[in-house]
Amino acid sequence: MATKKSKRKAPSSRGIMNQKQKRLAFLVDIEPKKMILYPLVVFVLALLLLAVHPPDRGIDLKGGVVVTVYNVDASPDELASYLTDKTGIELHAERFHDPINGITGIRVYAPADANPDLISDLIKARYPNADVTPRVVDPTFGKIAQRQGIKAVAYAFIGMAIVVFLFFRDLLPSGTIIFSAFSDMVIALAVMGILGVKLTTATIAALLMLIGYTVDSNILLTTRLLRRKEDTVEDAYLSAVSTGFTMSTTTLGALIVLWLVSTSDVIDSITIVLIFGLLADFMNTWILNAGVLRWYIASPYRFSIKLRRGS
Amino acid sequence: MAKRRGIKALLLNWRVLLLILFLIGSIAAIAVNGLTYGIDIGGGVALIAKPDRPLSGDEVDGVTSSLQNRLNTFGLKDISIETQHDPETGETLFVVKVANVTLDEAKSIKALIESQGVLYMELDGVVFATGGDVTVYSSNYGLDLRSPAPRWYVGFTLSGDSLKKFNELKKGKVGWPVDIFLDPPVNSLIVVSDEVYNTMQDFLGEPASGTPKPLIQRISEAFNITVVKYENQSAEELVKNATSLGKDKIIVADLPEELYTQIKNEVLRSNVNVRVSYYVPQQGEDLKGFVARILHLYGPYVLSEEVVMGDSNSFQLTGGAATKEEALQEAKRIYSVLRSGSLPTKLRVISEEYISPTLGSSFKKQALIAGLGALIAVLLVIYFHYRRWKIAIPVASTSLFEVIIILGMASLIHWNLDLPSIAGIIAAIGTGVDQQIVITDELLGGSSARGVSRRMGLLRRMARAFFVILASATTTIVAMSFLLVYFVGTLKGFAVTTILGVLIGVLITRPAYAEMAKYLLSLE
Repeated sequence: MATKKSKRKAPSSRGIMNQKQKRLAFLVDIEPKKMILYPLVVFVLALLLLAVHPPDRGIDLKGGVVVTVYNVDASPDELASYLTDKTGIELHAERFHDPINGITGIRVYAPADANPDLISDLIKARYPNADVTPRVVDPTFGKIAQRQGIKAVAYAFIGMAIVVFLFFRDLLPSGTIIFSAFSDMVIALAVMGILGVKLTTATIAALLMLIGYTVDSNILLTTRLLRRKEDTVEDAYLSAVSTGFTMSTTTLGALIVLWLVSTSDVIDSITIVLIFGLLADFMNTWILNAGVLRWYIASPYRFSIKLRRGS
Repeated sequence: MAKRRGIKALLLNWRVLLLILFLIGSIAAIAVNGLTYGIDIGGGVALIAKPDRPLSGDEVDGVTSSLQNRLNTFGLKDISIETQHDPETGETLFVVKVANVTLDEAKSIKALIESQGVLYMELDGVVFATGGDVTVYSSNYGLDLRSPAPRWYVGFTLSGDSLKKFNELKKGKVGWPVDIFLDPPVNSLIVVSDEVYNTMQDFLGEPASGTPKPLIQRISEAFNITVVKYENQSAEELVKNATSLGKDKIIVADLPEELYTQIKNEVLRSNVNVRVSYYVPQQGEDLKGFVARILHLYGPYVLSEEVVMGDSNSFQLTGGAATKEEALQEAKRIYSVLRSGSLPTKLRVISEEYISPTLGSSFKKQALIAGLGALIAVLLVIYFHYRRWKIAIPVASTSLFEVIIILGMASLIHWNLDLPSIAGIIAAIGTGVDQQIVITDELLGGSSARGVSRRMGLLRRMARAFFVILASATTTIVAMSFLLVYFVGTLKGFAVTTILGVLIGVLITRPAYAEMAKYLLSLE
């Protein structure tokens, strides 16, 4: 029985893999130099965008007061003007919706020197059923969190770079992986600036997650190209791209679901950063890094690749 | 027949067995320990406080135990105080998390952290010593070994004026009560029920001669605390009463919560600067204990004949307990209360986050739905890519197993799952799925379009897959370890769950998945 089944089904799956590879075959036709050029242009554009319009810092890095109010029958403007009246502080209120629990809430943003207790008491006094959750961050704490966030990303990046270099022991391929990761983060940051996603400890976590995802796909590609000696470079490249395509779409699918379902500010901003970071990573791994590797493997000047096995 | 033998062999494969063992262990751990949630999910308040100057290690301990003591007066169970040291600036931050509190309790907790603890010793309505006058030595507490029943003692000394004042006051007052307060509600109006009022008339000690003043009178004279019985006064009357007496606090104790809400709204309406707080007795709390909790009162202790007659500057507080352990516990508590009275520094709350418990539970539901949704998305996308459930189902279920094992480990080490921890689990699952795809493609990729790679054996292809997996796992772990060591903020949970997830993936789930995939794909 088992053998019968295998005859019927086995080609179909390989067929699908081949189909996928054929669909992606156009990538092989791009000249390696162009493959390097386009992502570099995107990287420079992202750098420029970042210089012009860097992402805002969220209150946990800048300091400030956010009061989230659930179960309240009021429009955000109504609530803001009532609170501004009573406190004399300029406030800003926004509505949000939670599809799972069917609850609608309002977030009230106030500057760091506002008194959160007074704001929540005032809300409670006018809307006794309101569920009020204040969050207050002092600018000094914002500064600490910001400094540590930068440190965390920098150390994680350096740690990643050292390990990648130790694994491949070859300057150019490891350098490209490290650059890809850097470019992913720069592009993700630029997109955050454009979409108005704030830089918070959560989005810093997302940038760190990005390092992990980048390294995954880049290591896969580099390993396939440098260690798969039995195939042509094109075949190895295509099979790696098809695997990478599956990897990225799966992760993207899961992230999009997370983004759709969650109303938590934190989860939403993490998923947005990751979605754009992964899209950038797709380009940086399968086009930029692949271009560099193909050019490198084909180059007559290349110095020895120190592989431990297989060469 | 061959198929069945295959399954048996698969189940007996040590990699698969290991996965099964870990799964059972994790489910058991979750069943026994349960999962604990961070404040941002479970509800509660998280406060980060910064001292006004860098502290030495001993001072950090002092501040921590003092905070613990002072917070205990709220009668809350889940109080955690962590310290985080910033190696760069030498600063220590105190992270105080209290689960399941009301918004008002959260406010009082913040106020308490920001106010410097003040210790008062009072006799006959006169404060004779405050924190700075009292010195306790670190070895001077323990069990009184001469006594047959378990008894504890804490020794302290009084200095200068306070000693003189005490010597004046104590004359002829053998058996009179001495009260010790840590952060009493100075300058307040306390509205109480009949029972509580009557209990407060007590606290008289065992006077050998004379009549000590009742507690209500003592605290009125010493701290300007006015206690009134609730006799259907309106909220307006009570607030007027408090403002006319110049009080800055109103405490409502053992009365309906409506009264408290009315008073609070009245305070807001008339725009006076008065804080309102609310106390109810907890389950199993006797009224005397309740009164002590409202007033932050320790004792009362009773003046012994020795003390009244003697003229030494060193004294002992003593008391009995049911067991030796409890006695020692009590001695430690009183020792740290006495020490708390003179904290070396003031704390300032620099970050405050409050999540109401009801909201917390909706977050939990949401996280669960989001997680299941993501899992289904993985299942469908993988099916779309390979067109077979035989790959999609094992990949998705391996991810599910991985989540269960991560949660099991978290419950085993009592890790509090907060939002960054959950982000870390998502990250680990994301890389996990990626790596399973690498394994699957290496297995399937045996014959490529040109059919050349048949030469390469299964083992070599697996070796290559695991090289990729190992390389990416190592980079992630190294990167996250830096985060774990150097980052002082709230992202630690992210690093912990990511590292945990990656380790579990490399050591347990990935090898087992490879075996399962080999079996399922070779069957076809």
